[in-house]
Amino acid sequence: MTVVACLKWLTPHDADDRFGGISPADSSALEWALRLGAARNEQVLAVAVGPAAADTALRDALACGAHRAIRVDSADELSSNDVAAAIAGAIDGLDVSFVCCGDYSLDRGTGSVPAFLAAQIGARQALGLIEIVLGNEVIALRRLDGGRRERLRVDAPAVLSVEGATATLRRASLSGALAARTAPIDVLAGPVGSHLPTARRPYRPRARVLPPPQGETLDRVRSLLSGGTATKSHGVPVELEPEEAADRIIAALDEWGYS
Amino acid sequence: MDFDAIVVGAGPAGSCAALELARAGKSVLLIERGPFPGSKNMYGGVVYPRILDELVPQWWEEAPIQRWVTRRSTMIMTPTQALTIDFRSQNWAAPPYNGATAYRPDFDHWLAGKATDAGAQLLCSTVVTGVLRDAAGAVIGVRTDRPDGDLTAKVVIACDGVNSFIAKEVGLYGKVDAANYTLGVKETLALPKEVIDERFGVRGREGVDFEVVGCTEGVNGGGFLYTNLDTVSLGVVLKLPRLAAQKKRPEEIIASFKKHPAIAPLIEGADLKEYSAHVIPEAGYKMLPKLVGPGLLVAGDAAALCLAAGIWLEGMNFAMASGMYAGRAAAQAVTRGNTGPDGLKPYLEMLNSSFVLKDHRKLQHIPHLVLSDRVQNQYPAFVANIVERMFRVDNPAPKPGLRRIVREERKRAGIRWRDLLSDGWTGMKGFS
Ligand SMILES: Cc1cc2nc3c(=O)[nH]c(=O)nc-3n(C[C@H](O)[C@H](O)[C@H](O)COP(=O)(O)OP(=O)(O)OC[C@H]3O[C@@H](n4cnc5c(N)ncnc54)[C@H](O)[C@@H]3O)c2cc1C
Repeated sequence: MTVVACLKWLTPHDADDRFGGISPADSSALEWALRLGAARNEQVLAVAVGPAAADTALRDALACGAHRAIRVDSADELSSNDVAAAIAGAIDGLDVSFVCCGDYSLDRGTGSVPAFLAAQIGARQALGLIEIVLGNEVIALRRLDGGRRERLRVDAPAVLSVEGATATLRRASLSGALAARTAPIDVLAGPVGSHLPTARRPYRPRARVLPPPQGETLDRVRSLLSGGTATKSHGVPVELEPEEAADRIIAALDEWGYS
Repeated sequence: MDFDAIVVGAGPAGSCAALELARAGKSVLLIERGPFPGSKNMYGGVVYPRILDELVPQWWEEAPIQRWVTRRSTMIMTPTQALTIDFRSQNWAAPPYNGATAYRPDFDHWLAGKATDAGAQLLCSTVVTGVLRDAAGAVIGVRTDRPDGDLTAKVVIACDGVNSFIAKEVGLYGKVDAANYTLGVKETLALPKEVIDERFGVRGREGVDFEVVGCTEGVNGGGFLYTNLDTVSLGVVLKLPRLAAQKKRPEEIIASFKKHPAIAPLIEGADLKEYSAHVIPEAGYKMLPKLVGPGLLVAGDAAALCLAAGIWLEGMNFAMASGMYAGRAAAQAVTRGNTGPDGLKPYLEMLNSSFVLKDHRKLQHIPHLVLSDRVQNQYPAFVANIVERMFRVDNPAPKPGLRRIVREERKRAGIRWRDLLSDGWTGMKGFS
């Protein structure tokens, strides 16, 4: 079986490949993949969807102990769905146990690739993890809203996405670092998918129109100071079927201007 | 042995050493601690790459140069005065050029690329922490900070820059004296290219090199100002013991240099992009270590081969040349199968018969003279006052004769004839 680490190559705005790298979350993901591989005695495969410069990240992964590296060649900014499809294509046919991803990349940073990937390869998902305990079972601790935590037992096959502080990537050995410089990297043709606009900036919801504050003076002041959120009702818990719930969430996001 | 040669440090010295070894068909590993060559390196900003004619013909067509220096100004300053000797040559605006401004992350990266193109192997993000030695004490490899991090080689070339831990570990340096070192601090200030062209009177890729004496608030040293395409590099070089004794902060000295009326208008409105600092081996010939050890050669700043003699602040060219000769000598020694001190000795002969040691020997008294208290603290005011009085119109008083002005100003500055003559003689002798 194979453990997969997904790495996204990033170059900072207005800089070139010399200053590129992967996010701390991806570094953690690689470290977890290596630990999982060692604990389960499985091969570790590093995958990147990106331009040739991403080979640097893959070579670093090989230097640290990954057994194989695949790059899906793509110079474009792809949608999360397309990135996930590209990764799914690259690992198609492999007997994958776990796929480790960073919880979100530094540029667009919506953290959706792992979820899309889990859906596409039909695996379980445990996302936004802040701790993984490797024993006979894989136990993952997940961050929930309001400071709460969720402890999950994750069985293979599963996609795990981890926060950057969960593990420090090991230092590559000298022989590993030397060998990785010339190690082969399998390059696959890139996806032809719907491309996103290439503006590189952190993801932020668009500005939205707020109704003028209403009510008593104090309510109006509160409404102004809170950016419109204070007057919103606190909501009523409802129990719905998943599909219906998803529709409700989308409708609410629409209403709040996030569409 | 893992390699014929290991070169420590991918600065200009290391890359030229590796290039020369690779071209000679030797297996060579270039180890750099930064994530890429040049990432950790700084300098004032003007490089004189003439020596590259030997290594990379027509280098100017591909080297990542910002501007070609066509104007050289030497400035003598007091807090309220500035006397500038300004030289311009359009001969330096066309191949084969003279000096150039370049950013180290670009230049070093490019030069290391030449070495890897020639077959050298480059390993970055790896710190050499010491040398490996055999029972007789000869260097046979290096230890790095990576797990299982030892590598062996027939020759190790230390190009690890000023304060070379390798040269010290092998005992090539005597007692280290802080007085032989200066601290260089630099600000990179962004301005639109048109503004730089306008303020400095240059066009296209032409650039300017200002060297300044008397701008360091009584701490012995000097200042510089160089133009890049859309930034200027402005900095000061400060004698270490003086800086400590006067309890001054380098950034305060830079701030006062920037406020000087001769400098402020040149950099007005500029955005600070970067602040950097580095030590310079400034004492030249007098502080040179032994350059050859058993299985070991030292080149560039690691060997203190930096020429800092007032109007010259040249380290890059000495580093490139000494690195090249070290690589050449190492390759020959490997071919002959003798990498002991004897086999490596031709390195010294190459340095001795080239500008590297010839210039250092010739100018050996200059660094001391330039950094002396008189040149630093008395002569700038003395000279500036003489010039001020020559240009001042004191009507109805008649113009004083030059001899009288010099006599009076010499007295006012408290300079003895004896010292003036002896410094003049040292300067004449040193430069001739
Ligand atoms: C403020 C200032 C202004 C200057 N201005 C000029 C100028 O205008 N013109 C000029 O020609 N010269 C100038 N110099 C001098 C010039 O910078 C040096 O002489 C030159 O950089 C020396 O080159 P080098 O290759 O010997 O060393 P460096 O450029 O210092 O390179 C040493 C390399 O070794 C690496 N290294 C160090 N230790 C290790 C280790 N243990 N393991 C692995 N790698 C290691 C470093 O990361 C670095 O890449 C200036 C210097 C300073 C500080």
